Amino acid sequence: MAGLVPAPSPGVVAKKPARRCAEVCLELLCVESVRIFHEKQSGPAAAAALEAVGFRVGQQLAERYTRDKPRLGDTLEIIKFVCKDFWQALFKKQVDNLKTNHRGVYVLQDNGFRWLQRLSPPSAPASATAAAGAPASSAGSLPPGAGAVDPAREEAVRQLALSHLHLPCGIVRGALCHLGVSCSVEADPKQLPSCTFTVRIMA
Amino acid sequence: MSVPTLTFVIVGQEDHPIYEVDLTGPKEQQTQYLHQFVLHSSLDAVDEQMWLSREPHLKVVDRFNGLNVTAFVTAGNTRFLMLHDGRSDDALRSFFNEVYELYLRVLLNPFHTPTTRITSRDFDRKVKLLAKRLIG
Repeated sequence: MAGLVPAPSPGVVAKKPARRCAEVCLELLCVESVRIFHEKQSGPAAAAALEAVGFRVGQQLAERYTRDKPRLGDTLEIIKFVCKDFWQALFKKQVDNLKTNHRGVYVLQDNGFRWLQRLSPPSAPASATAAAGAPASSAGSLPPGAGAVDPAREEAVRQLALSHLHLPCGIVRGALCHLGVSCSVEADPKQLPSCTFTVRIMA
Repeated sequence: MSVPTLTFVIVGQEDHPIYEVDLTGPKEQQTQYLHQFVLHSSLDAVDEQMWLSREPHLKVVDRFNGLNVTAFVTAGNTRFLMLHDGRSDDALRSFFNEVYELYLRVLLNPFHTPTTRITSRDFDRKVKLLAKRLIG
């Protein structure tokens, strides 16, 4: 993630290339942290803890990424900043679609959420298709028409994706709250790897 | 004023002081109280200026008895205030930029809560060095 580059010390002209970190380290860290949190605590407590971690990170990242930019005015501008610059720095792309009902609810849609790209559904014992036993590093969603769609399996995939989305939700909420927009953020993995984030402004 | 004045304060989002330092050396209590009072009452003036412009660097926002208050506002609504007796605007600008850099480092520390005071002696030392170097 580009955000891990250490800032050059003041007064020193940054001539040499900044040190970077392989993205796979971040992905492994996220996956492992989800696993550990769910091991140590059960269900909602783990989700809340992950969200709190994300919140803190979001605050720090928001302060960092708004560094040389002019200050943002109203809520819509702050949300647009999150959709463009923040998302670009964090997930290497911008949010694909932003919808609002002009009453304080914003829906950010990302077709191809980077942190869910490597998510493969848990292998189903009953399924005879090649999707069973797929290696963990293969990319995400089930190919259409890979046998009958199993609702229980769909639900398991959804739950797995949701557990990995607490951290990004926290990050988005932290960034928004730090910039002055008090809100709640929920994620909805409708069709992997595409994902929507619903931001509800708290009056 | 015969005694040079240069007091620097960082005010957090909830309008409480996160960091205060008198950059010209320790003063007597009365003067310290006066400086604190002037700086905190200038927060209203800073707010007014913030609503008018998008620039993070606000020039002199408030005056009191020959003392000026210059402000710098970050996107996360943290305000850097400097009480001075007519220093150069450019020097203050570069000072604010450098301190912003240091402040970001402090904020990125996972053990530091954004709403608590900055107690790092290193930060204190660097701010004082910067002031000496850039403002004199």
